[in-house]
Amino acid sequence: MTFQDATVLAPFIAAILVALAILTVDFIFPGRKVPALIATFAGLALVAVLVVITGQSTFEAFGGAYDVDPLTTFLDLVFISIVAFTVAFAPDYLEERGLPVPEFAALLVFAMSGAMLLAASGDLLILFLGLELMVLPGYVLAGYHKSDGYSTEGAIKYFLLGSFSSAIFLFGLAFVWGITGTTNIADVAGYMGQVAAGTIPMSPGLGLALAFMTTGVAFKIAAVPFHYWTPDAYQGSPTPVTGYLSVGPKIAAFALIIRLFAQGLQDLAIDWNIVFMVLAALTMTLGNLVALQQDNVKRMLAYSSIAHTGYMLVGFAAYGAGNIAGMEALLFYGAAYAVMNLGAFAVVVALQRRTGVTSNLSTFAGLIRREPSMAWLLTLFLLSLTGIPPTVGFFGKFLVISAAVEVGGALTALAILTVVNAAIAAFYYLRVVVYMFMRDPAGDLPKLRHGRLLWTGLAVSAFLTIVLGLFPNLLLEIVGVAAAAI
Amino acid sequence: MTWLSDLPIVTIVTFLPALGALVIAFTPTDRPNMARYLGLGFALAAWVVSLVMLAGFVAGDPAFQFTESVAWIPAFGINYAVGVDGLSIVLVVLTTTLTWISILASFGPIQNRVKEYMISFLVLEVGMIGVFVAMDLFLFYIFWELVLVPMYLLIGIWGGKNRIYATIKFVLYTLVGSLLMLVAILATAYTYQSGHGGSWAGAFDVQALADYAATGAFGGTFGLIAFGAFFLAFAIKVPMFPFHTWLPDAHVEAPTAGSVILAGVLLKLGGYGFIRFALPLFPEAAQSWAPLIIILSLIAIIYGAIVALVQPDLKKLVAYSSVSHMGFVTLGIFVFQEQGMQGAILQMVNHGLITGALFLLVGVIYERTHDRTIAKMGGLGSAVPVYAATFGFFVFASVGLPGLSGFVGEFLTLVGTFVVYPGAAAVATFVMILAAGYLLWMLQRVLFGDLSDFLKGLGGHLTDMKPVEAMTLVPLGVLVVVFGLWPGLILDLIAGSVDSALAAVSQAAPVALGLWR
Repeated sequence: MTFQDATVLAPFIAAILVALAILTVDFIFPGRKVPALIATFAGLALVAVLVVITGQSTFEAFGGAYDVDPLTTFLDLVFISIVAFTVAFAPDYLEERGLPVPEFAALLVFAMSGAMLLAASGDLLILFLGLELMVLPGYVLAGYHKSDGYSTEGAIKYFLLGSFSSAIFLFGLAFVWGITGTTNIADVAGYMGQVAAGTIPMSPGLGLALAFMTTGVAFKIAAVPFHYWTPDAYQGSPTPVTGYLSVGPKIAAFALIIRLFAQGLQDLAIDWNIVFMVLAALTMTLGNLVALQQDNVKRMLAYSSIAHTGYMLVGFAAYGAGNIAGMEALLFYGAAYAVMNLGAFAVVVALQRRTGVTSNLSTFAGLIRREPSMAWLLTLFLLSLTGIPPTVGFFGKFLVISAAVEVGGALTALAILTVVNAAIAAFYYLRVVVYMFMRDPAGDLPKLRHGRLLWTGLAVSAFLTIVLGLFPNLLLEIVGVAAAAI
Repeated sequence: MTWLSDLPIVTIVTFLPALGALVIAFTPTDRPNMARYLGLGFALAAWVVSLVMLAGFVAGDPAFQFTESVAWIPAFGINYAVGVDGLSIVLVVLTTTLTWISILASFGPIQNRVKEYMISFLVLEVGMIGVFVAMDLFLFYIFWELVLVPMYLLIGIWGGKNRIYATIKFVLYTLVGSLLMLVAILATAYTYQSGHGGSWAGAFDVQALADYAATGAFGGTFGLIAFGAFFLAFAIKVPMFPFHTWLPDAHVEAPTAGSVILAGVLLKLGGYGFIRFALPLFPEAAQSWAPLIIILSLIAIIYGAIVALVQPDLKKLVAYSSVSHMGFVTLGIFVFQEQGMQGAILQMVNHGLITGALFLLVGVIYERTHDRTIAKMGGLGSAVPVYAATFGFFVFASVGLPGLSGFVGEFLTLVGTFVVYPGAAAVATFVMILAAGYLLWMLQRVLFGDLSDFLKGLGGHLTDMKPVEAMTLVPLGVLVVVFGLWPGLILDLIAGSVDSALAAVSQAAPVALGLWR
């Protein structure tokens, strides 16, 4: 490891150190959340600064195994924001249930470091390493509420299917290594270029490798028909964890897809893109149709997160068809989805502060009278998730649809399917609004007190939802640079 | 008025209500009157500004005036571009007028969550004005969707018994149409962009797109499909048969002021969209689709009238009469003839005034009886003479009595239609008799005869119109008379818009369509 390697790696190393620091602080001040939270946010700020400093141009370390480019920088900043929001939203909920805050934060930062590794990987092995480092804390978090049967059940399901799909994915990687003789993504890309040009024949082994890898990543992003683990894992997990699981691992898995398919296997796009198009169509349609039938808001948000995966896949399919705007759309949508979905979950988390409160629709009846601020905030996030302007969610959909329409052909059909799905989604998102504004509360519940940290986090995500919707340029430029780096 | 051109007056009139909504948001919840008067104040202010704008407007000039343009999302060539031409300014003033009237009319009936109500109403006004002044397709779409949310809340929170069903139906119908329109907007922008060497500049600019369309760029199959998507969005809003089924539900469940705005302005968004966007962007396709649209318009005119004839509920009757009256609008637009289009625009304004007034009047009687069943009424003429006279006046205006504004719009539409399709004009004229039938029969059942037992039972509750209620109706009545006698006031304003819309269509040859040409 040269000095240059160390500087390139600095944000990643810092992330690991921050996680360790949180645990150390907890050791010094046992059972106190404030020092741990200070360590977390200071640490995250430090990592963000390092990411921005090292991400000014393209670097590589360890002979190309670890690459930093604007895409890495963008993804890292998204991951850091996701973790920061999740940590801000969680303490009220966790404390009420006697669950420790410091470990929660440390686990999230560990997962974040895995995602950062993933986003920077220039080698298949690093890619897999990053993937596992990212998902393992997720399994623990899903079962964080140890005494809750559902939490444990969800965690076991998540763990079993997660490791199963990791194995499938790894099997695919092994095939690639066996055929190409390299694990370096750039070299793999060179080999695939020759396959596409016809100088090397397409072997059945390569076909198998593609099939295994596609299946593996489809599990990770919860694309239909590989989504069965999500509703149980999402509903069982403590609500702040569900919020995190619906965005963090999902966007990290998209980082993996970008690094592997858009970079390593780019020249075979003609072979895999059709699969992604079918996955996109199935994922958004089925996700929405099932979300339609849920009367539990948490479960509804879980299924709708499947639908949003579908929209992001449309962007990726547009990229696979040769339109760079598709990648911009995917990245923009990912960031937008993180902000609005975490915001929506934060309101659910806040309402569940009192133990025993379910996330059933009836809990939301008449919320406007009980907690008007929460009701208005959730309305904003739900409108953004629906894709009503002027919110960031609308502009995300706008980009996805425009990228697909630009390609034309089958992707136009996919664009139309996307808007039809958006209309279906409007029904179940607005149903929550109906309950909050237009129905009378079921019982006489007292107003809850919420922590300042939660309010701050909500204010920031609401601010971003509106401002990035009105002035998407700010994000659009960053996304453009990131997409151009591929 | 040179000082006017230095002011961003269009932006001011659009966002003044938004400022009002923001101010009201910070008022205490337990002071409903504060919210009421602030709401009325800001609506009146927007009205005054729109009148100032009207005074400074140069009639007859087909170009957009008071234009403003600021780069917004340069990556896609999207600008914040606003301005008004004759058509826009007429509809903007209609909007600002009906908004303050509606807010004033809500003072009594709305006692619950007044603050949120006023905020919703003012945000609604922003969206409606924005649609009429946007000169950029993206901006237009933003405002178009912005209208949806406050209307959803207005029907859903302050509506009648079935309000939740009605409001969700309203949102889903409009959303499906407008989302498909979004795809068409994007496809149009891409066609423009790839025709301009990949440059996005102007790809969402209505004027640039229309100029490009004049070269036949959006013709062929693409035009047919894209027009279809625009058509669907606008036809749902108008609403044209068979996309009208959301309207009776929404009208019946909406609070009175919501109905007024729904009939008065929201339906006009569709007609405006046809003239401003669908015709200039897809002139060839518009010609190909015109016969079908004319047939649908005729069906709407007849169907609306027949269904109105058998309605037992006053509000539903007025709602279905809207379907019939709005059929004249689409008919007048799609005969592509000067009088026809003038008539269509006049009809939009008149329908806004007259039907708005009728909904207010239904609201007035509902306030007292909490019932709208026609069969339970009777003899109101002797019990509440002022109300009865006003009601009669607006019903006659709706029937199309010469001298009142309703007549002029329908007459011009029919003249225009007759020049092109005499058969269609004959059918539509026949329906005017039907209209007289359902409206006058209703009038007879409600106003004449002995006071019904139901109304007798109300005793002292059955009072005549209050001054506030009269204040909301008098301006509408005055305008109905003024426009009935001097329709030229509006015709002069819109002449430029009509000419340029027709010029776009007449230059283009229809796309051959196997179905009916």
